[in-house]
Amino acid sequence: MKLAVTTRGRWWPALCGTITVSILASYLLLIASNWIYLGWSDTVYFFSKTRMWERFWLTVWTSTVSTFFSLLIGIPAGYALSRFRFPLRHFVASVIDLPIVVSPAVVGAFLFGITTRFPFDWISEHYGLYIGRNVYGVLLVQFTVTAAFCARLMKASFDMIPVRFESVSRSLGASPLRTFFKVVLPMAKNGIIASMIVVWARAAAEWEGLMLFVGATEGKTDIMPFAIYLDWNSGMMGWVTSMSIVCILMAVSAISAMRIIGGKSNVW
Amino acid sequence: MSGNKANRKAFKALFYSFAGFLFLYSLYLFLSNLDQLFVTEAAVKTREITDVWGDDREIMNQFAGGFWKDPYFWKSLNLTVVTTLITTLIASIVGIPTAYALSRFRIKAKSIVEILFSSLIVMPGSVIGICLIIMFNYGPLWDLQNALGFRFAHSLFPGMVIASLVLSFALGLSAWKAAFDSVNPRFEQVARSLGSSRWRAFRTVTFPLAKSGIIAGIILAWTRAMAEFSAVLFFCGTFMELPSSRFSEFTKFIQMDQADWVSVAVWAQVEFGNIEYGFALAFVLVLIGGISVYIMHRIGAKGYIW
Repeated sequence: MKLAVTTRGRWWPALCGTITVSILASYLLLIASNWIYLGWSDTVYFFSKTRMWERFWLTVWTSTVSTFFSLLIGIPAGYALSRFRFPLRHFVASVIDLPIVVSPAVVGAFLFGITTRFPFDWISEHYGLYIGRNVYGVLLVQFTVTAAFCARLMKASFDMIPVRFESVSRSLGASPLRTFFKVVLPMAKNGIIASMIVVWARAAAEWEGLMLFVGATEGKTDIMPFAIYLDWNSGMMGWVTSMSIVCILMAVSAISAMRIIGGKSNVW
Repeated sequence: MSGNKANRKAFKALFYSFAGFLFLYSLYLFLSNLDQLFVTEAAVKTREITDVWGDDREIMNQFAGGFWKDPYFWKSLNLTVVTTLITTLIASIVGIPTAYALSRFRIKAKSIVEILFSSLIVMPGSVIGICLIIMFNYGPLWDLQNALGFRFAHSLFPGMVIASLVLSFALGLSAWKAAFDSVNPRFEQVARSLGSSRWRAFRTVTFPLAKSGIIAGIILAWTRAMAEFSAVLFFCGTFMELPSSRFSEFTKFIQMDQADWVSVAVWAQVEFGNIEYGFALAFVLVLIGGISVYIMHRIGAKGYIW
C-alpha cells in the first residue's frame, strides 16, 4: 500500500515560491537599473576617468584606517560582551549598539555636537589636529559607526566558539591572556577575517553622518557614497550612476569574499 | 594561586576597559548633546536680525525650538510612524514566506540570493536611493506611471513606503530566515507524515517554534524603517515647504500634510539653522531606537544589524 501524503495545502509552498521569485526579480532590477540606464560605452568612459579613481582610493584608504581602529577596540570589546556576565548587560549592549540602530544622519548631528567639547577642543588646541570639516572628520564618523558594528560582529564570532576550550587551556595552567592569544584568537580567525571584511564594507558605505558633520570638499572628503549625493545635486547623472555601480561592486565583492572565507556574520 | 587570581582580574579589567570605552563613548555622544536643546543667545539674536521666522519667532526661541507647539513636529512623527508601520506590515507579509522558502526549499544558486540580500546591508544608502530613482523615473516604469497618471517618487504614500521597504525588508528577512533555520525541519516532516497538509504543518508546528525570532524580525524591520534616511531623501525629498494646495484633503485630514520623514527633518532643521529643533527630533529617534534594540537584546534575537 502506498503511503498517502496529503496533497492539500499545496498552495502554501507555491505561494512562498512565487513571492520569493518576484521579490528576487524586483531586487535584481533595482540593483541592475544603473547598468541598464548607463549602457556599456558610457560605463567604460566614466571608469577611465581619474576623478572616479581618486574618489575610489579616498574611500578605500579612509575605510581601511577606520576599520583598523574599530578592530583594535572591537575585538576585545566583543570578547568581553560575549564571555563576561555583568549586571545591566542588556542595557550596556543596547547603548553600545545605539550608533548603528539610530539613523546615521542623527549620529552625524550628534558628532557635530560633540566636536566642540572636551576631548576634541583639547586635541585641536594642543596638537593642532582639527577634527571636523576635513578627512579626520570622515574617519571619526566611520569609526563611530563601525566600532559598534565591529563589537557586535566580534561578539557573534566569539559566541560560536565553545567556552570548553578555554576552560581546558586554563586548567592546564595557561594564563588568561595566553589562552586568549593561543586558543581563542586562532579558533575565531575565520570569523574575525569575515567580520573585518563586512566592517570595511560598512565603513565604505557610511555617508549620512558626513552630510551633517563633515560636508564635502571635492578631492578631500568626498568619499564615494557622498560624491553620489553631490553629483546628483549638480545633475551629473553619468557620474552618479557610474559611481553607484562601483559602490555596488564593492559591496557585492566584499560580501562574496566574506562568504568564501566562510563567515556567517550573523550579528545577534 | 593568588597570582593567578590577580592575573585573571587584570585580564578582565583589560577587556572590560575596551567595552567600557565603547559604552562611555556612545553615552557621551548621546547625552552630552542634551544642552543643544537650549536655544542660545546667538541664535535668538540671529533670528531677530534676519526676521525669517515672523510670527513663529517666539516659538523658535523657546526651549528646543518649542517643538511641542509646532504642528510640524507632530505631523512628522505621525507620518513617519504610520508609514513605517505600513512598511513593516508589508515587509512581514511578504518577507515571512520568503524567509521560509529560502530556509526550507532547495533553491538553485541560493548563495547568490544570500549574497544579494547581505550586500544590501553594506550598500550605501545613497546608492539605494539612486537605484530607486532610476528604476522608477526612467524606462518602462516611468511610461507606466505616465499612463496611469500618478507618481511613485516624491509622494507620501507609495513613495515613502517603497523607499523604507527596501532595507527594512532585507533586515527583516535575515532575522526571519535565522528564526526558521533554528527550527529543526524534522518536526515538520513528522507532522506531514502524520497526515497534516503543508500549510497546516507550517501553521501549527514551525511557526509557533520560530515565534520569538519572527517577533524580533518584525521589531528589527520596524527599527530599520524608522532609521531610514538616504533612500527617503533621494526618492521623496522634503515636503515642508510645499504649498498646502499640493496635498489632498485626505492627507490633511490624517494630519500628514507639510510634514517630513523624521530623520530627514533632523537634517533639514539643522541645515536651516534650527539646531535645537533638529536635536529635539533626533532625541526622539534615539529613544525609539534605544528601546527597540533593548527589546531585541532581551528577546535574544538572531540576525543581521546594518
